[in-house]
Amino acid sequence: MQLGAATGKTESVTTPGQSSVKIRRPAGINWSYSIISWLGFVPFLLFCLLFEILPAVMIIQNSFLDSNTGALTSSNYQIMLSHLSYVHAFQTSISLSVVTALIGAFFGFFATYGLYNLRTGWLRNLVISFSSIAANFAGVPLAFAFVSTVGVTGFITVLLLRWFHIDLYNGLNFSLYTFWGLVLVYTYFQLPLMILITLPALSALRPEWREAATNLGASNFIYWRRVALPILLPSLIAATMLLFANSFGAYATAYALAQGSINIVPILIGFVVNGNVSLDPGLGNALAMGMIVVLLIAVSLYTVMLRRVSKWQGR
Amino acid sequence: MAQAVREINLPVRKDRPKGQGLGVDKIFLTLVLLFLIVPLGATLIFGLSSGNSINFNTFQSVFTDHDFSQTLLLSLGLALASTILAILLITPTAYWVQLRLPRARPLMDFLALVPFAVPAIVMAFGLVEVYGTGNTLINILSFGLVPVLSNEPFNVVNTPQLLVCAYVIISLPFVYRPIDNNLRAINTKVLSEAAYSLGSGWWRTFLTIILPNILPGVISAALLTFSTVMGEFTLASLFSIYTFPIYLNVTGQNDAHKAASLTILSFFLTMIFVLGIILLVRIRPGSRGNEDRLDIVAAK
Repeated sequence: MQLGAATGKTESVTTPGQSSVKIRRPAGINWSYSIISWLGFVPFLLFCLLFEILPAVMIIQNSFLDSNTGALTSSNYQIMLSHLSYVHAFQTSISLSVVTALIGAFFGFFATYGLYNLRTGWLRNLVISFSSIAANFAGVPLAFAFVSTVGVTGFITVLLLRWFHIDLYNGLNFSLYTFWGLVLVYTYFQLPLMILITLPALSALRPEWREAATNLGASNFIYWRRVALPILLPSLIAATMLLFANSFGAYATAYALAQGSINIVPILIGFVVNGNVSLDPGLGNALAMGMIVVLLIAVSLYTVMLRRVSKWQGR
Repeated sequence: MAQAVREINLPVRKDRPKGQGLGVDKIFLTLVLLFLIVPLGATLIFGLSSGNSINFNTFQSVFTDHDFSQTLLLSLGLALASTILAILLITPTAYWVQLRLPRARPLMDFLALVPFAVPAIVMAFGLVEVYGTGNTLINILSFGLVPVLSNEPFNVVNTPQLLVCAYVIISLPFVYRPIDNNLRAINTKVLSEAAYSLGSGWWRTFLTIILPNILPGVISAALLTFSTVMGEFTLASLFSIYTFPIYLNVTGQNDAHKAASLTILSFFLTMIFVLGIILLVRIRPGSRGNEDRLDIVAAK
């Protein structure tokens, strides 16, 4: 959140300190000082290199290599783009993430506004705490919670059938193990995340802005349309990007729900790692690379928007 | 600054006239909360019921299962190891960067952002490839460390050790940020220089002056790492290590009622960690409320 402002702030804080250091030290010792400074950073850097950067490098490199001969090739990408099922997996993954991010952002924003307007302090804190728990409640347990609720023999399914004679599965053609079922489950962790991200942004709206707008004759609608929303827009876009990335990379929830019968990219990569013979490792690398590219776009947009946020809110 | 704004906020918020959008947002909030609560309630009832009566038999059969305690212990061990390693590695580094190497801050921010762009599933794939197969480019880029780690006596591929290292990377975004926020909130430079001028060494300054001041951020980071590792499925599954979430998945596929009981149990585990963060961090004087909230984000 405070990424852009952070760098600006530290620079202004550290500059006087640094200059005083420079005055005290002659030029010769400064070199060793700076080398020692970098040495202290080396253990962490090495750790990140070994377990964070190199796996990514490996994926990039192998996606351009033939997995049998090791020769440089673009055939992995050609296979990926020419097979309908792989293209379809990307389409499903992207639309799943877009739909859940938009649903999460829309409902989450209004819910956050309701939370922001709550006068009761303890209720507000309770909702915030509950959101923190719900945002962290994901993966296998979340999938099972939904199976117990709206699965074939789930509590709500049975309740609707017995009391209201509504048959979710045979009558309404609903299924938890399809695209929309997955949307329902993913929304569960998107909503609380949206609330947690948006609440600080809403709280940072200055009351003076509303007063100024009201003094100039703006109605509540005009205030939101012309003042609040334009200021909040970068935060909202950043939050939506984070929600997108959040669901695009999710594997555990989808796997536990359908045991691999849903055709999305993370599931396909899972097949490759588990040694499914029908999938070539080179193709797996190309799929992983595709995921990285899509996520890079989302994450770059996220950081760009965050810079704008910090500019507006003067942090 | 933010603190001051919030203090001004309070009285004004009370005076605000009830606008037209006020009813709608409360309805949205209620709907969202219902959506979040209903699956939990339904799961609890589903887990407790067998047929028509309510009993605790499923819970009993879960607790007596040998695999249950075995996997739970393994997951606890992995979580503890990951948390300790993450805190030991990142806290001193964050302090060091703040104090002596502000130039490296963009690099630090970048490294903490990478796990967003490289999700767990892709990372697992990459790790298996790096440590499972020999590759000249990787050997050179790692200064010869990868061949050492991937052959005898380490043979690190698909081991719990590699899993722990991967977990540290996964938790990097939400370990680094709260610690860094806290370091920025206290006047790190002045505190350190005061300690140095009074004759305190680097480690002593770090342990006795800086660490107590940034403890809320460290605790929050530690509990979040712990909670994430306890529930992490993707990496453990791809490394074929039989942790608690894997056990949960295997058991749940065969017995829906057992799955529901285990789900409720995992929910309580998550709740304990998150409430721990809230109680230990928010209540402390000087905690900055709203701004820390963004850090409570786990990897899926």
